Amino acid sequence: MSASKVLFGCWLALVTLSVGTVLLAHAGPLTPWLAAGVLALALGKAWLIADRFMELRHGPRFWRGLLLSWPVIMTLGVLGTIAAGR
Amino acid sequence: MSTSVERTGTRALPGDLAMWFFILAELAVFGILILAFAVTQWLQPELFRAGRAVLDSSMGLALTLSLLTSGFFAALAVEQVRRGRAQGGAILLLAALLSACGYVVLKLQEYAHLAGLGYGLEHDTFFTLYWILTGFHFLHVLLGMVILAWMAERCRRRAYEPHACSGLESGVLYWHMVDLVWVLLFPLVYVLG
Repeated sequence: MSASKVLFGCWLALVTLSVGTVLLAHAGPLTPWLAAGVLALALGKAWLIADRFMELRHGPRFWRGLLLSWPVIMTLGVLGTIAAGR
Repeated sequence: MSTSVERTGTRALPGDLAMWFFILAELAVFGILILAFAVTQWLQPELFRAGRAVLDSSMGLALTLSLLTSGFFAALAVEQVRRGRAQGGAILLLAALLSACGYVVLKLQEYAHLAGLGYGLEHDTFFTLYWILTGFHFLHVLLGMVILAWMAERCRRRAYEPHACSGLESGVLYWHMVDLVWVLLFPLVYVLG
């Protein structure tokens, strides 16, 4: 598959995940599980951006790990505060 | 310092190594702000629930889609330049800029709406953090747009070569970093209410 097609597929996935985020958030009252679902979608989007748009998929492991650790830490941090508040 | 020859058994890191360090520094700053927002939300859940109710999640979605589309065009522009199609790259960078303009117009509308309703920086803790967090990100968007415009002009003048476009890669990486931060800001600020 050409690089352009891969990027288009990535953009389509990002749009789908973004719409899914809003739909999921309106699915019911915010529980830690619902918050985890919403944040998992955000994590998926961050992963797509880092791996495909920023071209880290086949890049140096160290940098890929470093960059991907940021959305993971943010997600866990936010989720932790939501879970602690319940 | 270019990393185009730096190999670690896999593909080389695109762009300039200095840009990657800059991105890490930026992510650290945004990380502190995001965690500050989350912790304050934990301490004042009712206030944040009320504040978030004022925001429109469909506006947040529109902002997200305009930024993601802009990032997509910017990524395509790099591909075009690598294939020796500098003019195509310039057009795609302008498309990225246009999409980013959509973000700016929408965001300014939202800011004007909130300010008109009296939800300014000093209204309450939620809106103080909202304005600081989204305002700081907005400034990054504006800087990114200047970079996109400058790179489009350089592309038009064929300043980038297929195997010597580290500057273009670095500028586009910065733009993707702005995207990356927003995909976490969007649920935190607009959705998790």
